[in-house]
Amino acid sequence: MEKLIFEPTANSPRIVLDPENKNFEFSGESRPENVRKFYLPILEWLEAYTAEQEKLKGDERTFGLLCQFNFEYFNSTSAKYILDIFKSLNAINALDIELEIKWLYEEDDEDMLEVGQEMSRMSKLSFEYIKSDA
Amino acid sequence: MENREAIIDFEGSISFETMERLLNQLKSAWQFNALRKPVRKRVYGTVVESIDNIFKYATPYKDTNRELQRHPQIQVKEQEGRFIVSAGNLILKDQVDDLKYKLNRINKMDDQALKSLYEEVINREASDEDRGAGLGLITMAMRTDENIRYEFESAGPVHSYFTMHITIKE
Repeated sequence: MEKLIFEPTANSPRIVLDPENKNFEFSGESRPENVRKFYLPILEWLEAYTAEQEKLKGDERTFGLLCQFNFEYFNSTSAKYILDIFKSLNAINALDIELEIKWLYEEDDEDMLEVGQEMSRMSKLSFEYIKSDA
Repeated sequence: MENREAIIDFEGSISFETMERLLNQLKSAWQFNALRKPVRKRVYGTVVESIDNIFKYATPYKDTNRELQRHPQIQVKEQEGRFIVSAGNLILKDQVDDLKYKLNRINKMDDQALKSLYEEVINREASDEDRGAGLGLITMAMRTDENIRYEFESAGPVHSYFTMHITIKE
């Protein structure tokens, strides 16, 4: 699969989906004007990637993926789509592709830590929580 | 209407560009920058959700009788170490009972009940068609220690002007 990169704007996050380097990254602020239009290509990419991996034999599949979530802020409409991303990651994980999910939050930002814990619980994926200095 | 304590005091039609301008105004206010970062993020998030609510729920202005037309309002003010975010918009009178019910229900909930409702709504709602219990309202209720205060004011035979106030403590 071709990698997908979205550069950040004042209201939308940086997104990197780079399977060759086994690296998925989400960072910055998410409150785009049209949240659905923004996240739909990402969800479609993840769906196509899952379908592609599914066709491969077990030992031909990607061995592991690093997924880093370093959101500064996201609004409640984005939260719905971020949960959908985790549900997509869960489908990838179900193919025995190991995921290393890191949820970064700024020190003292208990709200961001808590929302990460809720996302982990709702998507049934385990997260590593990392305090960032920024 | 001048308000000396107001960091944002806006009345008019709200577009996405207006929202960007108001958020920049908030980010450049010294009262906002003096806050601890987690509190700042709560205030910022509450302003974003309040404006999003206006986008989603406000009744189109053009449908109203000219004399009764009232623009949406958004105000952020600091009062004795508390930040109060107020947002107002026209809604249909038919929507008043339903909105009152939702707000009263949310106001009665403790943290655990709010988390359960959040989970129910985030898994149920059809993405942008966020017109159910309102993930935004639930998120705001989770970030405030006080109840969401609100009032409805009659605006002609068909409309009501809905205002809500959310308080964030330092």
